[in-house]
Amino acid sequence: MTESTVFKGIGISNGKVRGRIKFYNKEVRAQPSSVKGNKKQELERLDRARKMASEHIKALEKRALSTLGEKEAQIFEIHAMLLEDEDFISSIIGEINGGKSAEEAINITAKSYGEMLAALGDEYLAARQTDIHDISAQLIRFLGGDVSVNKEKDTKPYILVATDLTPSETVQLEASKILGFVTFGGTPSSHTAILARAMGIPALVGTGKIDSIYDGEEALLNAEKGTLTVTPDEKEIQAFEKERQEYNKIAKEHELYLRSVMNKPAVTRSGHKIMIYANIGSESEVASAISNGAEGIGLLRSEFLYLSKDDYPSQEELFSVYRDIAIKMQGKRVIVRTLDIGADKQIPYFDIPKEENPSLGYRAIRICLDRQELFKTQLKAILRASKFGRISIMLPMVVSADEVKQSKALLEECKAELLTRGEGFDSKIELGVMIETPAAAIMSEVIAKEVDFFSVGTNDLTQYTLAADRQNPRVTHICDNNAEPVMRLIKMATDAIHRKGGWIGVCGEMAADLGLTQQFATIGVDELSVSVPYLLGVRGKVSECR
Amino acid sequence: MREFRHVVGDKNGLHARPAGLLATVARSFESDIRIKAQGKEADGKRLLSLMSLGARCGTELHFIIEGKDEDVAENALRKHCEEKLNGD
Repeated sequence: MTESTVFKGIGISNGKVRGRIKFYNKEVRAQPSSVKGNKKQELERLDRARKMASEHIKALEKRALSTLGEKEAQIFEIHAMLLEDEDFISSIIGEINGGKSAEEAINITAKSYGEMLAALGDEYLAARQTDIHDISAQLIRFLGGDVSVNKEKDTKPYILVATDLTPSETVQLEASKILGFVTFGGTPSSHTAILARAMGIPALVGTGKIDSIYDGEEALLNAEKGTLTVTPDEKEIQAFEKERQEYNKIAKEHELYLRSVMNKPAVTRSGHKIMIYANIGSESEVASAISNGAEGIGLLRSEFLYLSKDDYPSQEELFSVYRDIAIKMQGKRVIVRTLDIGADKQIPYFDIPKEENPSLGYRAIRICLDRQELFKTQLKAILRASKFGRISIMLPMVVSADEVKQSKALLEECKAELLTRGEGFDSKIELGVMIETPAAAIMSEVIAKEVDFFSVGTNDLTQYTLAADRQNPRVTHICDNNAEPVMRLIKMATDAIHRKGGWIGVCGEMAADLGLTQQFATIGVDELSVSVPYLLGVRGKVSECR
Repeated sequence: MREFRHVVGDKNGLHARPAGLLATVARSFESDIRIKAQGKEADGKRLLSLMSLGARCGTELHFIIEGKDEDVAENALRKHCEEKLNGD
């Protein structure tokens, strides 16, 4: 009878799921063998396993090279070196000579080196424990002569466990296979959390390290309680199933109520109408946005077309996706945010040098105004798609009216080039900027003269206003507990754009915070744009506001 | 005997990949290559040994090279440090 282990973290999204744990980027869990031979036999087994593991790693490296690229493949080179490492191997041999089985010897060695790296107090090196455990697990697997990777387990949906996931990693995941996410690090505003919300699946972030020996074990993920129960006993499973059924029943009733208000406009009791739009990060989310009552797309994160590729997408590729989304939205507004990369969203082929301070560095509009051909390719694709629906362009990370003017000049160049080629576009296409830097909010009076609308990116606006990194768990509480300064900036921007006759939306995470909906209504915000799973909830909340 | 010092410039310190690359270079020489940092000493040809130095960005590595090909080894290691352990 195994005992259950409970990991605590911060729950994201709602819901409870039960399934097997799968460690990201991991092979199957090693099954320790119980048969033990004499020293000589154990040493021979170790030798054989090393040879097999080494070949296996070479094969993995080759596969990684062709599917993931050189950088990702390098980790296997490290694995190969670890496998050859004299200290590592002599420690294993020493344990075998001391009377341990090969499996025990590997586990003891892996544990002591893992602890040694953890003790260095360096987060990055501590994370290399994973590599040691990975190598050890492979060795143990080959000791058993088991060369087959258990594929069957992978065909069922699983709970994905990872140290952390980068945007480019998440884009490569097969969404339909994932029941929930668990990450050791991260905060409610990390990418994994945002992704979980967008997918409407539960997640747990900031659990601290979970040992990869649990890979493949059954687990219960409870996002409300913020717990992951690994290898639960019968009683825990029964209690969980009961709660899950109750939760699903309540959730369903609530959804039925919300659906009944879905097609009514979201109007506060004092008569202020707020448009409810959806934030989407790919074409595949359009259908669910519509079925959840989105009146438009308030934020199309156009990075996805770049993140999922190995090279710059062509104008044609971009155009066909924008066009399809415009058509599917049937005349409803689709706000395409132009490329917002840099900072925590890096794309290898952009070849952006490492920076000390990427959040304050070369990113978003700064890259676009510098690499103008790249920007113009995207602008032309958006313009061409605009005649198939109602598309608006939104510029990220703006700090001055000058950047908007430069962008407008490029947009005019693009229009002229399209006209000479006989390509049509919506001549009244709206242009807006993201209010996500304090400078943009402070200068909103001036910037408003250049644009039709504003949309507040609360995640960045919060971190820049409060000088607190939202990805850093030690200061997350500062971001979470100081909405007031951000709200005052939003009010400034709202008043500025309203005086000019334009409108303003909010598309950051705060838009989905039902505790703030009343404040947004009071300030006079015209649109709230949220991930698909929050659409109904926000719509329901607006109608309860004063 | 040859020796030189190099301050790690890579943002992540002497983590697995740079340590691995360094060990690969060191292994191509016959000379004994030791690296001292923060009061610890490592065998320059062994990955785990190098990683256990826990050298971060800004840590000074003290290379001590001893053997027949120490001149060539020193040059190669210096070059490697300049190119690969300086951050960018």
